[in-house]
Amino acid sequence: MIRQSWWKILAVVLLVYTFTAGMLVPLKPGIADVSPRALQAGTDVEMTITGYNSYYTKAKSDLRAWLKLKGDVVLKATSIEVVDDRTLKLVFKLPAYLPSDSKDDVCSLILDSPVDGAIVLPEGIALTQDSVNLAEGSKLWSVDKMDQLNAGPELTFPYRSVLYETIRNQYFHVPLWFAMLFLFIFSVGFSIRYLRKFDPDADQRALALTRAGFIFGLLGLVTGAIWAKFAWGAYWSWDVKQNMTAVALLIYAAYFILRGAFQDEEKKARLAAVYNIFAFAALIPLIFVIPRLTDSLHPGNGGNPAFGSDDLDNTMRMVFYPAGIGWTLLGFWIAAVSYRIDKLQNKLLDA
Amino acid sequence: MIRNRISLVCILTLLVQQMAFAQQASGDFMRSIGRIYVVVAVILIIFFGIVLFLIYLDRKLTKLENQIKENE
Repeated sequence: MIRQSWWKILAVVLLVYTFTAGMLVPLKPGIADVSPRALQAGTDVEMTITGYNSYYTKAKSDLRAWLKLKGDVVLKATSIEVVDDRTLKLVFKLPAYLPSDSKDDVCSLILDSPVDGAIVLPEGIALTQDSVNLAEGSKLWSVDKMDQLNAGPELTFPYRSVLYETIRNQYFHVPLWFAMLFLFIFSVGFSIRYLRKFDPDADQRALALTRAGFIFGLLGLVTGAIWAKFAWGAYWSWDVKQNMTAVALLIYAAYFILRGAFQDEEKKARLAAVYNIFAFAALIPLIFVIPRLTDSLHPGNGGNPAFGSDDLDNTMRMVFYPAGIGWTLLGFWIAAVSYRIDKLQNKLLDA
Repeated sequence: MIRNRISLVCILTLLVQQMAFAQQASGDFMRSIGRIYVVVAVILIIFFGIVLFLIYLDRKLTKLENQIKENE
């Protein structure tokens, strides 16, 4: 394709960066577990906090913790005992009444450390009271204030329960689809060129690009299944995006079968080109339209905004975009090598 | 060529057995250390996918080389 190989060097540089930054940047400190998760008003409770990537011994006496109800109503922990870097024991003296008009409520836990920054465990703790007294409860809970929360370490990836470190798959699983898409776009471009000029070379390029794109698609499907096993609980959850990509890949698999079915080179090339355009026309709605119309486990589908700040923060973008370009360039490299071998083969057959 | 294929099958069977054994021995292995081994598994799959394609290209090239030899 292009004789100069600057873009191959770029692919290697970007992928080396992807692997280094993608694997070495730590996750933001988080709260892995809290117990107990159900608290009774009017009692003193000792809560055990299990941290993730946390450094509690470094922060020691500067640690602060609050239980937070709706409307910024907070209760500060009266004592915090640092057991080790990953374990804390908090004591809360819960007032007799909650600032709530029902017997049950939920609160979140906020832990602030100058080392790890402020960490929120959202809506994870249940509160109960025996009798309701909103006025008294509001008064009892208005004593403490939450102030001056610390910012955490700068260079971190978001901490998400369920995902944990697998959030890094964003740099390995997701770019495979980027690469596949670009390879298929270029492939369909060459197929159109073939149909306009009947240049066998364009057909060869389309074949190599489709082949590389298909490999990336298969890898995306398998890596996605592994990720799904540990994030969604099953290798195959019959998620709409999983199903539709499988269908799209089957359509593309038929492209190679179709090519094998013809002896005559010109007939083969012409039908393959037409079929490739059809396959691409099916691919776009299968991957980008249908998953958005129904509920999906994938982010960015079923009404969720794609790549919202929850799934992809600015630190992740710094790795994710280079990763996308790097994997795509690698895909084109693979396609180029396979195309050159095909070309040699054809030359030898003609000779 | 046949010997190569047999050894490849052997290696793959061993690998699958190993993985099955690892899952039985500790289903929690993949979930340990913040589930980092899921990322490792994903990277390994991509690596093996690319290696398999490399083997495919290698065999194609071998055929071409043999053809050139015959032509000479």
